[in-house]
Amino acid sequence: MAESGSTPAAAQPVPQAARPRGNPVVAVLSAWLVPGLGHVYLKRHLRGLAFFVLVIASLLIGCKLEGNLYKVVPGEPLTILATLGSMGMGFPYFLLRYGLHYEGNVMGAGYEYGTAFLLTAGLMNLLLVLDAWDIVRGKKE
Amino acid sequence: MLSHFLLMVVYALIVSLFFTLLWRRERKEQVKLFLQIFLGMVGGGLLVAWLMYPFPSGPPAPIP
Repeated sequence: MAESGSTPAAAQPVPQAARPRGNPVVAVLSAWLVPGLGHVYLKRHLRGLAFFVLVIASLLIGCKLEGNLYKVVPGEPLTILATLGSMGMGFPYFLLRYGLHYEGNVMGAGYEYGTAFLLTAGLMNLLLVLDAWDIVRGKKE
Repeated sequence: MLSHFLLMVVYALIVSLFFTLLWRRERKEQVKLFLQIFLGMVGGGLLVAWLMYPFPSGPPAPIP
């Protein structure tokens, strides 16, 4: 779009890092649905794989410890936040909740630790969604 | 697998690796941030545990 003569400010070359690299909706949705997939979509393959391994590792350890996969409990408003945080892990949450009918075990010795690992997996993936958004909008390399 | 210390170290490892990859690109900076977060979490946990040592744990919590 560059034309001869004076160049208006709007036509200045956009820095490489500031250019969108894909569809923001696809990037965000894929990042949420499968941990690391948003980064893979944005051509950050190794980072995406590493994020996938870290989030899934946290998830599996949480399940192994029989931690609580939060769901909304009537009369306990904080469980709404915790559930939203856990749902941040995307498809794995729904697979565990509705596919595998995972419940956790409040009597298990690792219950509290497992809950922390499961919640952390969801929160980490939410940060990955934000990171994918920043990358696709050109705010971050 | 149910050692408190081991679980704390594993948790710190996962979280520090995650934030290192999220926030830093240069290898040298990654190592520095990883050590800061990892040692901060493990050292902080040990410090808090040490500070709580003189206090009695009290009766066991009721089982819900």
